[in-house]
Amino acid sequence: MAKEFPVPPVVFTPSTPTHRRPPPPGAGASPPPAFAPPRPSTSSAANPLPFMSFDVNAAAASSSAPPLYAGPIGVGSGTSFEDEPPLLEELGINTRQIWRKTISILHPLRSADPSLHADADLSGPFLFLLSFGLFQLLAGKFHFGIVLGWVTVASLFLYFVFSMLSGGRRGDLDLYRCVSLVGYCMLPMVIFSAVSLFLPRGGGLMFGVGMGFVLWSTRVCTRLLAELASSGDEHRGLIAYACWLVYMLFSLLLRAGSRRWAGTPFDTFQQNTPIPRCNHD
Amino acid sequence: MYDGYGNPPGMRMPPPNPHPGQFGNAFNGPSSGLIRTGLEAYGGRFLDSSSEFMQSNINRYFSNPQYYFHVNDQYVRNKLKIILFPFFHRGHWTRISEPVGGRLSYKPPIYDINAPDLYIPFMAFGSFIILAGFTLGFMGKFTPEAINLHFTRALIGWALQLVILKGLLYSMGGGEVPLLDLVAYGGYLFAGLSLAVVARLIWAYSYYIVMPWMSLCMGVFLVRTMKRVLFTEMRSSERHSSRQHYFLLFMAIAQFPLFFWLGSIGA
Repeated sequence: MAKEFPVPPVVFTPSTPTHRRPPPPGAGASPPPAFAPPRPSTSSAANPLPFMSFDVNAAAASSSAPPLYAGPIGVGSGTSFEDEPPLLEELGINTRQIWRKTISILHPLRSADPSLHADADLSGPFLFLLSFGLFQLLAGKFHFGIVLGWVTVASLFLYFVFSMLSGGRRGDLDLYRCVSLVGYCMLPMVIFSAVSLFLPRGGGLMFGVGMGFVLWSTRVCTRLLAELASSGDEHRGLIAYACWLVYMLFSLLLRAGSRRWAGTPFDTFQQNTPIPRCNHD
Repeated sequence: MYDGYGNPPGMRMPPPNPHPGQFGNAFNGPSSGLIRTGLEAYGGRFLDSSSEFMQSNINRYFSNPQYYFHVNDQYVRNKLKIILFPFFHRGHWTRISEPVGGRLSYKPPIYDINAPDLYIPFMAFGSFIILAGFTLGFMGKFTPEAINLHFTRALIGWALQLVILKGLLYSMGGGEVPLLDLVAYGGYLFAGLSLAVVARLIWAYSYYIVMPWMSLCMGVFLVRTMKRVLFTEMRSSERHSSRQHYFLLFMAIAQFPLFFWLGSIGA
């Protein structure tokens, strides 16, 4: 019982009336706004669906239609579509800066440049956390919410300890910058999560490799914290231990939990129904 | 526990300089600017309107937490030695006091090995959580919910320790000890506990040797510390009473079930 929907041909014209474009003069007598219920008098030959009424009648005149769909989005009060800044710039995501910061962390031997991290952003860390969760998903574990929650708690912890230790002479470290730093220094853990997909699970090799990545993260994080806060030199060992704790927590998440779909509602389902499944134990 | 109660220094942050990078409005963009200005306005208003009231009331219950974090590497190492092996501490156990502004206050931990600090308890707490996760991983029973369970258990254990110490002080009539002092004394148990869990990871049967030993050490440490605290707090007519000794003994014995309950990971 396939029902035939004769879809009216859609023509995008500048004369399509929207919130942002005044109807051009001479387009016809009071064209009805798009998405309005169709008036039966102006029905075209096709059968217009009530929720999808592109007003094609009034726009049939002009054929040189610019390929823009000026829908009733309402962004910007009267500026044309071409004048708006690009989406990433409007959101504040500076991809070149993110790339530069990532590269600066990736060199384990050359010290990370702290001036790059002076302006903090959360979009880079968000990308890293998403890819961390993605690699975990490839291993069969669904840990997105857990990773986000743990990063928040861990950076609160680190901020509290650091601000107390440096006794108020914090330089310009505030909570936002601390979260950004912790997120950026998660990059070695993301690489470890990718590497751990290929290592034998639970063995000593994974332990050793994991410890190496955790130490890399700790080293970068401590150096950035100490240099950004301009007073952290005398407490470097104490801060390093706090950072080490944070990244060990994430490596725990990677190393253990090798059952399939651990921690999701599928768990109880699979325990109740005897479906043969392959265990990666 | 993780947020900065008390007087977080410099809570009103100066607005950061907008970085004149490639995107001029990266900092003042709609996503980050609104949040930042909102937080600053809220924080400023909070401090302005209720700061005096909050400070006067908070100082009654919490002393300044900054004092407890005034530590350095050497202090941490020596304090750990005292906590884990209190029998070998040859020095005295009293805190050094100095007159500051007419009132008698104690020297910060960086100058006085007997002063309590909050850095070691926090770090030992974190280490215990990590080690609990390790143990669960080796047993094959690791899930993030188990970590949450052990986190909550450890918090409850800390609170129980605090209740015991506070109850001891109330029953002896000395209530002037700041709460954060007791929080610090109560949190030292995680150092011994973490060491016991590490020992169990290395060799399974060492648990039955190291755990009672650590409980004993913590009991001795607490008894000696609280004895000094009570000594300075109480009136002279009630010193050396047998009731005091019974309470201290009870406190030392209560460490054993507490340690064994917290150390039962994966049971």
